[in-house]
Amino acid sequence: MKNILKAILIPAVLGFTACNPLQLDEVLDPNNPSLASVETNATKEQVQFLLTGLEASHRSYVVNISQSWNTFGRETWYLNASDPRFQTDWLGQAGRVPDRSYFGFGSTGGGSWAAPYQAIKQADVLISSSNGSTLLVDAEKKAVSGFAKMIQGYQFMIPANFVYENGIRIDVKDPLKPGKFVKYEEALNHIKSILDQADQDLAAAGSGAFPLKLTPGFAAFNTIPNLRKVNKAILARLNAYRKDWQGILTALDGSFMDMSGNLNAGPAHPYSGPPDAFNPLFYLPNAAVNTIIVVHPSMIDDATAGDSRVSRKFFKRNNPVVVTTDATPLSAQYQDARWATNTTPIPFIRNEELILLKAEAHANLGQTTEAVNAINVIRNAAAIGNYTGATTKDALINEILYQRRYSLWAEPWGHRWIDARRYNKLNEIPTSYDKGTIFKQFPHPQSEINWDIYVGG
Amino acid sequence: MKRKRLLFLSICTLLFFSNYKLQAQYKITGSITDERTSETLMFANIIIQNASKGTVTDLDGKFTLDIDDNSEVTLVVSSIGYLSQLVKAGPSNNVLNIKLREDATNLEEVVITGLASSVKRSNLANAVGSVSAKELVGTTTIQTTDGALYGKVAGVTVRSNGGAPGGGLSIQLRGISSLAGASQPLIILDGVYASNATQRTGRATVSGAGGSNQDDGSNRLADLNPADIENIEILKGPSAAAIYGTRANAGVIIITTKRGAEGKTKISFSQDIGDASPLRLLGTDVWSEAKINTFFPVARRPIELERFRKGVTINYEDYFYDNPAILSNSRLTVSGGDEKTKFYISGNVTAEDGTVKNTGFERYSVRANVDHKISKRVRFSFSTNYLKTETDRGFTGNQNNAGASIGYNIAYVPSYFDLRPNAQGIYPVNPYFSENPIAVTDHGINNSTVNRFIQAFNLTADLFQNNTSNLKATFSGGLDYLQNSTMVYLPEFLQFQRAQANPGDLLIGRQESFNTNIQAALVYTKTVGKLNLSSQGGMVRLDFKNSSLFNRGRGLVPGQKNLRQSNIQEINQNFNSKISEAGIFLQQEANFDDKIIGTVGIRWDKSTLNGDPNKLYAFPRASLALNIANFDFWNVGAITQLKPRIAYGATSGPVAFGSTFTSLGGTNIGGLLGSVVSSQIGNTGILPETASELEFGVDAGFFNNRLAIEATYYIKSTQNNIQNLNLAPSVGVSTTPSNEAELENKGIELGVSGTIIDLPKFRWFSRVLYWQNRVLLTRLGIPTYIAGAFGAGLGTFLYAEGYAPTTIVGSPAVAGNPGGFTFWGNNQPDFNASFFNSFNILKNLELSVLVDWKQGGDNINLSAFLADGGGTTKGWFEDSNGDGIPNGRQRDPAPHNNAGRWVMDASFVKIREVGLYYTFPKASLEKMFNGKIKGIKLGASANNLFLFTDYFGYDPETSTFGAQSIANNVDIAPYPTPRRIFFHLNFDF
Repeated sequence: MKNILKAILIPAVLGFTACNPLQLDEVLDPNNPSLASVETNATKEQVQFLLTGLEASHRSYVVNISQSWNTFGRETWYLNASDPRFQTDWLGQAGRVPDRSYFGFGSTGGGSWAAPYQAIKQADVLISSSNGSTLLVDAEKKAVSGFAKMIQGYQFMIPANFVYENGIRIDVKDPLKPGKFVKYEEALNHIKSILDQADQDLAAAGSGAFPLKLTPGFAAFNTIPNLRKVNKAILARLNAYRKDWQGILTALDGSFMDMSGNLNAGPAHPYSGPPDAFNPLFYLPNAAVNTIIVVHPSMIDDATAGDSRVSRKFFKRNNPVVVTTDATPLSAQYQDARWATNTTPIPFIRNEELILLKAEAHANLGQTTEAVNAINVIRNAAAIGNYTGATTKDALINEILYQRRYSLWAEPWGHRWIDARRYNKLNEIPTSYDKGTIFKQFPHPQSEINWDIYVGG
Repeated sequence: MKRKRLLFLSICTLLFFSNYKLQAQYKITGSITDERTSETLMFANIIIQNASKGTVTDLDGKFTLDIDDNSEVTLVVSSIGYLSQLVKAGPSNNVLNIKLREDATNLEEVVITGLASSVKRSNLANAVGSVSAKELVGTTTIQTTDGALYGKVAGVTVRSNGGAPGGGLSIQLRGISSLAGASQPLIILDGVYASNATQRTGRATVSGAGGSNQDDGSNRLADLNPADIENIEILKGPSAAAIYGTRANAGVIIITTKRGAEGKTKISFSQDIGDASPLRLLGTDVWSEAKINTFFPVARRPIELERFRKGVTINYEDYFYDNPAILSNSRLTVSGGDEKTKFYISGNVTAEDGTVKNTGFERYSVRANVDHKISKRVRFSFSTNYLKTETDRGFTGNQNNAGASIGYNIAYVPSYFDLRPNAQGIYPVNPYFSENPIAVTDHGINNSTVNRFIQAFNLTADLFQNNTSNLKATFSGGLDYLQNSTMVYLPEFLQFQRAQANPGDLLIGRQESFNTNIQAALVYTKTVGKLNLSSQGGMVRLDFKNSSLFNRGRGLVPGQKNLRQSNIQEINQNFNSKISEAGIFLQQEANFDDKIIGTVGIRWDKSTLNGDPNKLYAFPRASLALNIANFDFWNVGAITQLKPRIAYGATSGPVAFGSTFTSLGGTNIGGLLGSVVSSQIGNTGILPETASELEFGVDAGFFNNRLAIEATYYIKSTQNNIQNLNLAPSVGVSTTPSNEAELENKGIELGVSGTIIDLPKFRWFSRVLYWQNRVLLTRLGIPTYIAGAFGAGLGTFLYAEGYAPTTIVGSPAVAGNPGGFTFWGNNQPDFNASFFNSFNILKNLELSVLVDWKQGGDNINLSAFLADGGGTTKGWFEDSNGDGIPNGRQRDPAPHNNAGRWVMDASFVKIREVGLYYTFPKASLEKMFNGKIKGIKLGASANNLFLFTDYFGYDPETSTFGAQSIANNVDIAPYPTPRRIFFHLNFDF
């Protein structure tokens, strides 16, 4: 019996001492690389992954902005029978006004706040990883940082326009020490300086092909000179918000604007289907669903006869989409026809917008002829003939805003909401179709306030 | 049923005693019988007090004991399930007929208190809950083990997430210990760390509902065959569970399965056959032309009136939820053994339909428990269980746009519209929602198939022993391997699928978990006069590995369920985790003559989940019980037991896997792979959540323990509670896990049980349990926030210092309130109570009834919200206040637009279990079958027989988010809870 005991216990004891059961092996993340792995001595491949990651972060705003901002500006309705709050809350029915944790935005502001700031963070990580790498040459580093800053400039405009007069944080490099909120105008000036730096960095990167791979969204722009043109286009949009009319024209000069070129030319967010995402704005024609982005009825009612943009962008359904909620029922006959398939890319700035910006700048500078010329490029493309109306500044601005409604309809930016606010015309956005209200802006998301409370004591 | 285990222990003990040579001077003989029924008791223990000597009764209840001198002796006579008795014997008083009284109040039961030791309940210093096999499944057949615990232990709050077959329950012991995750008790099955994870099924992905917590998945305790269970012990809080250290914050449930007993091989077969039907349906609203003209917009009215005038009326609740559902359970067990080897082998086939078409639960279980004595000093036991469960839970609950939920869908479908397929099998397009739910129910698949293997072992060796001391070593542990194959399938011809670019959706998942644990301990016991000392020390090692792979295919070839037959193929999820933990424990117990019983212990644990994986965290415990009635001065005859007790202990709850990582996620765009900065910054200093508990109470027995009272008060405080600290989102990172919060749970548990009538022909046992818990966020540490459910507009939860985290708040906003919204309710019940009664009539007939009562606690009832939105709520078009606005558009409180409309009291009383059994008299069986059949038992029973509630829903118990500590009371179109009626037949051969 003792032998049996020994036979069992001795190996057990030996086994324990040989591999100590109290010893725990370090567990590394088995699913993801760590942030630390790219912070120092990143390889070129790692920088490439971060760069592509930035392109992915760069498009995270698309769904939320398309659904909500375009609804705020009544370019579309986002009808959703599964959750009536997409109607009641987003349309401001029964006097609802955005609060700090508003439906669809959560306490972080979601796609309108947290997502663009994540892209900004991603760009910061990319820049520092690239600059810290010994495997990239200086010109490559400049190219990467120029591209990253260009995206940052674009992304900063989203939170700025979301909260408008409430202002945003522009010093966001240290996650535990974000800077104070600055006014809208100051934020826009900061964005301008970022875009200017982007231009300088790109200028220092030579004049050849972009040294890393960009997605097909930049297919026509993947050289350093062409990326500088994209950067200038973004700057032109920004300058409109800055009311720097001359600045718009200067920027447009360096951009890819082409008065006789394809109006659709411009960089885009690609969607290629799994493992990539699908185009989130695509719906099958006549789909028997009750969750869908539809054309706001005012777009049909206000359309100019024969406008080719109407027939090209709006698809008339056999059956209207009706959503009955405990508030007013909504019925829409038209859906979005812009996307041929669910892998069609979504442009984020187009030649058409640049020409409209040119018209707007000239109109504001009193350069009527140039303004009308630009307007006519747009009108003729839409098959509605030359502009024949008054050429007062107000008349031209009204015309430009009208053309922007149809030319830039439902682009993932909420153009009409922002435009109406820029020209103090929010009250011109129709609410009769849905008995809602038009929001001016959002308050800071609750989590921003909470952080200040947390560090403030 | 606790008998067998103690039997095993006592036989071991006695065999050890019998090593000693004895010099007989006189012989005591006698028999032991049940006082009430006069049936003989086999394997009862007879031990000479204060001496290491004794014997057991034989199969006829008789015994013989040699006494080696002529002195008088006091015998301690005991049998499991009976109260022990002291009997004097001497040379002239050596023929004894001893009658034992049933231990109705479980004072003599043995309770596990250490990792390698146990103690008699009457000496226990903690309020450990215990459920025997008879209590667990003796009244009726419950599908899952957790479902069988309702109302059986004070302080154990079980909640069903819905009525879908195959489980899906959560257990909360003494309130909330963690603000994050499910915070479910640790399950120890025969010493194995058994998985009770609620695994992903993918339904919420395909239906668009959201995260996997809206899958309505089963928790994997559902795999276990409840009929194999001998006993369940519930360590409700840290004071009892401290020796389990890490992972014990939410309590520990120790499940022990049945084992073989020495004697003739016993074969028993039992069959249940039953039927399920919905416990409660609400009915739907009738439509009229007037209602159509009110409900629909003008443009829509003509078509609706035309549809209405066809005169069809369909009650969709009945159509979907009330279908014939057959329940069948077959069990075969073979057990027996000899002195060296004992075995218990069981097989179980459960096949239970759900009340929704094409739903159901099947379980196949094979178990072999073997105990073997390698030598007189070395014992070995082995418990092997293979399980296969197959669960089809259908499509209910939340969805988003996909329409793949019966309840969500039919909330919008008026009863005059016919969704049923035509003669060609074509399903009409549902113009009221995005899907035809009949087509989904007929052709959709939501299946989970689990293959599982659980293996436990225990090796015990007596290293040293003499008259007063004993040193024993145990080496035990086991493994739990679980593989879950899931499939969610929506064929291409469904309405919503046809509206997609790639119709047809198939999500196939494989999840694997592999847990191993080993434990080595030394236990030293020593008797010094009347003082018994027991010391134990040892180590434990735990390893948990999980992996999951989900693939999705969209755009399917008709009828095909292979991912290769899809146009869009996608790796939906691939996640792996590995966790290792190790600990050391020491415990010292002292028992002075069953009068003063004290325990001190400590465990140190470390875990790879913690910020510092090499830091040992200490979990001390101490407890003291005084058996006042055992002291000589005690002379209150009516009070046979009086035991004040106090216990303290600390435990911890694990950090979520990955909390320390700051990672770069993978993302694909435009044919390239990208790395994106995660929205979480890892906290490399994260600490485990810790809890400490002070518990005190008193146990009292009256009238020879016919009546027992157990009263306990506890204060459980948790520290370092983990919650996400939300960063300013403008820094591009949203969260980091923090250790800031602290919680406090205080509660009372009361139990009164006793045999009210105890006559040979009629026995009435009754038990009343009452418990209540109050939870408070004593420290938040971060700014007040609201979270959970579906936002402030529909009711959400407030996390504010000085408030219960179960507080429900919602619109309208109130600037002065913490969190900024109106207070609408609280999910925490005022109290829970249960009543159990069993009646034994004429020895052979037994009737048992268990009533479960939850008072207070609110739900967020979004099923009502949906049905109101769709105009289908029963009584929608009535107008109680006569203002011309139908009730369905004017729910209180005024002004009828706030979250308070959906916060509803969810009190209920349920007749949980009713059972009536007849056992054929042994004598007549003997005659009839000539000994071939030893026992026949017939019975009928019901589970969830009646529900009494004012709550407007299928069941006040519901959780669309499954098992989680907060927000586990949201009602969204759940699967209705079934009422289950059974007939039972049991044969013993």
